[in-house]
Amino acid sequence: MLSVQNVAKRLPDGRPLLKDISFEAKKGEFIGILGESGVGKTVLLRCINGLTAPDSGDVVINGGDTVIKVNGKRGQELRVIQQRIGMIFQGSILVKRLSVLENVLTGRLGRISTLRSLLYGFTEDEMTVALEQLERVGIKNLAHRRAETLSGGEMQRVAIARALFQEPYLLLADEPVANLDPKNTEVVMDYLKPLAKEVAIVGVFHAPELVSKYCTRAIGIRDGVVCYDGSPFISPSKLEDIYGTERAVCITSVA
Amino acid sequence: MKRRSLFNTGLGVVLFVVFVWSLVDLGIGPRLFWRGLPHFFRLVSEMFPPSWEVLTEPDILWSVVETLSMAFLGTFFGAAAAFVLALWAASNLTPSRLVRETVKALMAAERSMPTLVVVLVLIVVIGLGPFTGMVTVAIGSIGMLGRLFAEAMENVDPRPLDSLKSTGASKLQIIRYAVLPQVVPSLIANTLYRFDINLRTVLFLGVVGGGGIGFHLHLAMSLFRYADALAITAVILSVIWMAEQLSNHLRSVVIGRETLR
Repeated sequence: MLSVQNVAKRLPDGRPLLKDISFEAKKGEFIGILGESGVGKTVLLRCINGLTAPDSGDVVINGGDTVIKVNGKRGQELRVIQQRIGMIFQGSILVKRLSVLENVLTGRLGRISTLRSLLYGFTEDEMTVALEQLERVGIKNLAHRRAETLSGGEMQRVAIARALFQEPYLLLADEPVANLDPKNTEVVMDYLKPLAKEVAIVGVFHAPELVSKYCTRAIGIRDGVVCYDGSPFISPSKLEDIYGTERAVCITSVA
Repeated sequence: MKRRSLFNTGLGVVLFVVFVWSLVDLGIGPRLFWRGLPHFFRLVSEMFPPSWEVLTEPDILWSVVETLSMAFLGTFFGAAAAFVLALWAASNLTPSRLVRETVKALMAAERSMPTLVVVLVLIVVIGLGPFTGMVTVAIGSIGMLGRLFAEAMENVDPRPLDSLKSTGASKLQIIRYAVLPQVVPSLIANTLYRFDINLRTVLFLGVVGGGGIGFHLHLAMSLFRYADALAITAVILSVIWMAEQLSNHLRSVVIGRETLR
């Protein structure tokens, strides 16, 4: 479904951030990407989605019978691909003054003509489908509330509903539970996990515990390369490879 | 220290010279006030009792409606043009620095253009009448509103814009669904404020031939019908007062809803 091939990206000042990243993700997989902060996890996700162009390497998405290369595309061509890649961001990124339902509906803007979206917005059918997605994450009853009145956990569930409404080939999640309390973290992750049956999920996480609890596979990044790729249950010595000695000791002692 | 006090003394001397010179040049003195005072009392005595019967003239009532429509339409078209220009002036929506600076410079030039100059030019180009008044008000609104709108757009939370971009939404769609919802309260509040200003401008424009109730006030004064003038003035004051109450109320509704998060 997703194939990342030798992706490299430099920082604006010329220092290499990602040097050579390659991995594949298939339907049924929930991949958790781990690494120290500043290692380029978010940049990697943005490269996969096309929000950032990699300096070299390829990102290829295989949605059933269509094979699409994400990198190297611009304008309308890129937007058509992005339309089928759901992305859940860190913290709340909803349009606060729109209703929950409207926020979900914006997930399909890329698919409808600009003229229609400016003149009258969305059809009854689209609203029905959007409401179904809200039902899947258990907040259909909040559909007509303003997004700003929701709690952090509810907002992330709206973000998941919006990503699902895109009918994605691939789901990306950038620290989707970073700002949530333990209870809401659990709720959001429990809604996210079963979606892997329909679509490959690639998530960035700050805590190895989350990855071992919910993901089917873990990828560790250090110094711009993949330093770990395998079971989400990572041994202490492998954690040391990912985070360096001090941080790994800290994490294992907490766990 | 020494140089600074020397500078201050010099500045004081210059200010004093300008003050005295202005007084002498304009021939201003206490005598002017004493001479004007009897005229003032005569004017006031002729104004009373105000002749309320002019208010039953359809012409006058119609001109009140005309004044309000001129201010309303002028504000509306001015705000619409300002919105479009603001999109080109906001740094987060228009990447090209050249375009931004050009639009900003145009709006700044537009702001510094006196309304009187605009209306006199338009009277020559379009002729006398309410249309001229409306266009003048619209042009006068663009510079100020454009700048305020652009500032509001630059201050929006950028994260929803980024997230809509990630779903493949086009620029116009991002503006409609992520920028507009965030700036609407500020757009409405500033436009209402400008409407208050424009209503006063329209009254003044009547004097130079822009039509509306201002024209009737000017007419009554020139024909020495001071009692009529006072009645018309009373109407003008109450229209302004009511419009201001209404726009204050609407503004507090819009902004109040905003702070209720």
